[in-house]
Amino acid sequence: MSNVILFNLTTVLFGVASALYIGALYANNEKISAFGTWVCVLAAVVSTAALGVRWYESYQMGIGRIPVTNLYESLVFFAWSINLFYLVVERKYGSRTFGAFVMPIAFATMLFAIKGDSSIQPLVPALQSYWLHAHVITCFVGYAAFAVSAGAALMYLLKAKQEEAKVSAGVIGLLPACKTLDDLVYRSIIWGFPFLTAGIITGAAWANYAWGTYWSWDPKETWSLIVWLVYAAFLHARITRGWYGKRAAILSIAGFLATVMCYLGVNLVLSGLHSYGGG
Amino acid sequence: MPDDKRAPSPMDRVWDFFISVKLAIITLIVLAVTSIFGTIIEQNQPPEKYHQIYEDWAFALMDRINLFDMYHAWWFLLLLVLFTVNLACCTIDRFPRMWKVVRNPRTKLDGNLEKTLSQVDRWKKKGTVPDWASKYAEALSSAFAKPVATEEGGEVHLYAESGVASRFGVYVTHLSIIIIFIGAIVGNVLGFKGYVNIPEGESVSQVPVRGGSRVQELGFTVRCNSFRVETYPSGQPKAYISDLTVLEGGREVLRKKDVVVNDPLQYKGIWFYQSSYGQAGGATAQVAVRKADGSPMGTLALPPNEPMRIEGYGTVRGVNYDQNLQGNGPALQLVVDRPGKPSAEFWVYQSRPDLDRQRNDSLVFSFSGLNVRQFTGLQVAKDPGVNVVWLGCALMVVGIIMAFFLSHQRVWVRLSKSQDGRVEVVLAGAASRNRLAFEKRFEKIQTGVKAAEL
Repeated sequence: MSNVILFNLTTVLFGVASALYIGALYANNEKISAFGTWVCVLAAVVSTAALGVRWYESYQMGIGRIPVTNLYESLVFFAWSINLFYLVVERKYGSRTFGAFVMPIAFATMLFAIKGDSSIQPLVPALQSYWLHAHVITCFVGYAAFAVSAGAALMYLLKAKQEEAKVSAGVIGLLPACKTLDDLVYRSIIWGFPFLTAGIITGAAWANYAWGTYWSWDPKETWSLIVWLVYAAFLHARITRGWYGKRAAILSIAGFLATVMCYLGVNLVLSGLHSYGGG
Repeated sequence: MPDDKRAPSPMDRVWDFFISVKLAIITLIVLAVTSIFGTIIEQNQPPEKYHQIYEDWAFALMDRINLFDMYHAWWFLLLLVLFTVNLACCTIDRFPRMWKVVRNPRTKLDGNLEKTLSQVDRWKKKGTVPDWASKYAEALSSAFAKPVATEEGGEVHLYAESGVASRFGVYVTHLSIIIIFIGAIVGNVLGFKGYVNIPEGESVSQVPVRGGSRVQELGFTVRCNSFRVETYPSGQPKAYISDLTVLEGGREVLRKKDVVVNDPLQYKGIWFYQSSYGQAGGATAQVAVRKADGSPMGTLALPPNEPMRIEGYGTVRGVNYDQNLQGNGPALQLVVDRPGKPSAEFWVYQSRPDLDRQRNDSLVFSFSGLNVRQFTGLQVAKDPGVNVVWLGCALMVVGIIMAFFLSHQRVWVRLSKSQDGRVEVVLAGAASRNRLAFEKRFEKIQTGVKAAEL
């Protein structure tokens, strides 16, 4: 199973990139973080290849299907999305300091993934649907955007605290300006929110086609609604009541915690349709 | 303003309460937090199960506030109603104002407006106001959008806008939520959901409705011709397949041989979803009987442990079944009792039909397989509101994209006669969102407009 080897390599690369970004902050050295960017690009290539190889290997096993159908695959796909979303943000904002806060999320996700079962299992009947592709992809792009938002929110809180104390030295001093971070918190959410909405809708359409019920208050569905409500509250607070800065950052982090609960907590702690096998 | 000094009437206060965004944010958060309870406390379980988990007083309390079916509890539904009323009131309050702004845009760039705009540029040109006005109108059309011109007191104002739809995004999104709720209510009132098991070869024409004692007449009959499970080589289930026929007045009107999970049968707005399966009654073993000379006598269907009489011979009983006996595949253990003879007990293999000849009996038995009768379990649903829900969902995605990714951009040009006889030009612009992107676009418009020559 060469895909697993490639994913293990991706994990190492994410770890190296995280270390480089964090090290660059401490050493105040732009060259180190530029190297980090190249490692991220390499990781993007390797993990994309890994997904392709895994897809191909599933066909060789006679059970060909898109590699986003179990916990291992969804975790590696989540990390893949975070990395790509991060690279876009880095380019757009022209700052590499985000990496120290976002890449560790991708690294931790991969560490969690490679501890689990990485074998390719055939699809149970309930998952055999074209809705699977649209549902999983939209959800994970949304999750990745929320992860980047939460990373930026954390940076904002650290930076704002320091600015209050009127010091600008040290690692925190190198972070982008509060205004930039606050903007990234918001902008990531306006990307994540439509994708999450589309993810919930495709999930509902799929459920309706599989069971005749588009909404059944299953824990997974309910948690996705909770995530949606938190970010809807964020957007209303931001746009119509001018919630900037600290309060917006805290709401963004709360939203991401709800996202993690929706994605992992429900499968690992609660029971429901998404942790079951058959139809 | 004098209106503000008057004390608000109670009606005004109620209205102000319902149109506040603060209420919207609080409702969203309260809905989010209360929804968590329903995911921690398993919903709609039998009372015995809850008694095992909770103390009596806790059970009584939770039962009283409907925590065991909380998404249908009056207080949760009330929250949803509050949410919807808030949404509707906000729209009624704000939409007309926005509509007025959109219908009657400020086409004149007066001094007051100019002060509020972030993007302003001014320059002077030789020539006349009307000449430059028509030139710049042309230039603005190609660099941005076709402008409207207003003339007043020797001044000419050009006004152009794009992305005005972005102003509607929020209303489309809010409307979509109300449409989804309407669809859900229509489905709940006019539709039904049920569940039915149909054994192979049997049919149903009514379905017990979920969560009640009501039975729904289908208006037609559904027969299960057969059911089978396909597995992967590893033994994991690959597909659950029902072969179903719809009958009306005893006549076959529709047949779908492969109703599987994710591919339901639909007839007259009623959908049948492959949902579960099981064994209907015990299995019967098929045993072929021949005379010693090889001539066939027929096939016995043996239910487990039930003796079957063969005239002039004795009784046969299937007492044991093994899927793979000593590595030779499926096998059946038979017990033969003949009058005046000791009871004989032996195995017959499906793969070796002639093995029984070794017994040198007057009859030879061979095992031709086990016949298991299955039933298919079908979810049955009729939801006339579902297309309304999908319409709402589509509008929601469109509305969110309009609200977040479009920007209402406005550009003004004012031309007036300056003191020195030249034409004074003021170019200004504003965007409802993403000002950074607009700055770049404004630069391009500037270049485009300034490049115009008489």
